[in-house]
Amino acid sequence: MVEDGVYVYNETHEGKNVDKESGTLHEKCKTGIEELDRKLGGGIPVGNSVLMVGSSGSGKTTLSMQFLIDGARHGERGVFFTITEPLFKLIKNMENFNFYDKKLIEEGKVNIIDLRIISDRLGLDTEKYTVDDANALLDVLKDIADELNVKRLVIDSITALCYRLQSKEMIRNFIFKLGASLASTDCTTILTSEVPPNEIKYSQYGTEEFIADGIIFLGDVNRRGDIIRTLQIIKMRGTAHSRTKSAMSISSKNGIELAPLLKSRE
Amino acid sequence: MGNTIIDGLKERISNAISVNQSVGIMLPGNNYSDLTQALFEFMNSKPKTAWVYVTITNPYGSIEKKFGDMFDKGNIRFIDGISRAAGIYEINPNCVFIESPSQLEKILLEIMNAFRDLENNIQKYLVIDSLSSLLTYNDVSLVTEFFTHLSNRTKLEDIHSISLSIEEEMEENISKILYLKSNKIIKVRESFI
Repeated sequence: MVEDGVYVYNETHEGKNVDKESGTLHEKCKTGIEELDRKLGGGIPVGNSVLMVGSSGSGKTTLSMQFLIDGARHGERGVFFTITEPLFKLIKNMENFNFYDKKLIEEGKVNIIDLRIISDRLGLDTEKYTVDDANALLDVLKDIADELNVKRLVIDSITALCYRLQSKEMIRNFIFKLGASLASTDCTTILTSEVPPNEIKYSQYGTEEFIADGIIFLGDVNRRGDIIRTLQIIKMRGTAHSRTKSAMSISSKNGIELAPLLKSRE
Repeated sequence: MGNTIIDGLKERISNAISVNQSVGIMLPGNNYSDLTQALFEFMNSKPKTAWVYVTITNPYGSIEKKFGDMFDKGNIRFIDGISRAAGIYEINPNCVFIESPSQLEKILLEIMNAFRDLENNIQKYLVIDSLSSLLTYNDVSLVTEFFTHLSNRTKLEDIHSISLSIEEEMEENISKILYLKSNKIIKVRESFI
């Protein structure tokens, strides 16, 4: 329903919204971050691929892991493909957060897989991929997701993955193949994208955003020398979402939290 | 003389907060110590109520040293916005330490988190000590915006609030918003106590 140019959705039941005008049911995948879900109009539309963009230390990995763990708690199996951090280091970092639940990992409800180990097992050069290597890796990713019957998938990061490809053309082809591959699943996916600090761009190679249904930008603002983390939903297909910038906090007790960003001119 | 002042302040605070959702207290700097003494005695006398005390004026450690014997009821939780910025790395389960008093959004989050953990039927109170101290670390417009957000949230969540400001540090726009958002303003003058 459109009221004053704004789409209004009625939340009917857990995680699902109905657009009053079209009657379409948009099934939502809750991130587990209350304020973010509110901004997303209930959550990420199921099946969307979301580019989580930010510089180093902006909270991409933490947010992605919180998303997977919350899903697992609600019966949705997830998989986290890492290519940036060794498994032991990633888990050690996550153990600092109260939301982390070792049992969910042990029970296979959240699967953490190091893509470098897979590459190694496939006999690929872990630092340089050919077109065939990239395709083989993509097939393995899809097979794992299918076999585990996962509903939530994270690749951390698409930037590091593409870094191993040798040319812009290869990167472009790989990203489009990845997009097609993800679109054929009913998985809700987060692809993390690393960008340099203080730059408003959504990807390193300029292509990643075109396969994404949504973009969430993690940035920061400088206040008298102190850095305030921020989060902004740039786009999200299939849901009426907020576009305002929020202040973001990361704490061991509550993981990611959002608050209204104070916007007064300094 | 000291006790008369403190008892007088306690009575005024008690009368104001029992009938008003939000109370602003404007006081001269030389009455600050008496007022905080009165506040802690008042909080201690209400063990079945829950208090969140946000300190930007003094580090939690110094408050604990001075008034620690009045925290024994377990009904006061602290949010300290200045210790970390001053390089004081204390850890205390009764206090959340914010990295910097310029992280106003984080202060807002922690205030709401502190109240969220409490039972619904308990009477909740917030003390901001103080708006004028926030001005030392933030621009006026940000403190105004912060206080506006905070007042709106506390009203919605049925949380009583007491906001202090020291006259000597005060700024006109902050006075205006304090008047606008408070149901009652107490101006501390020794002649009125």
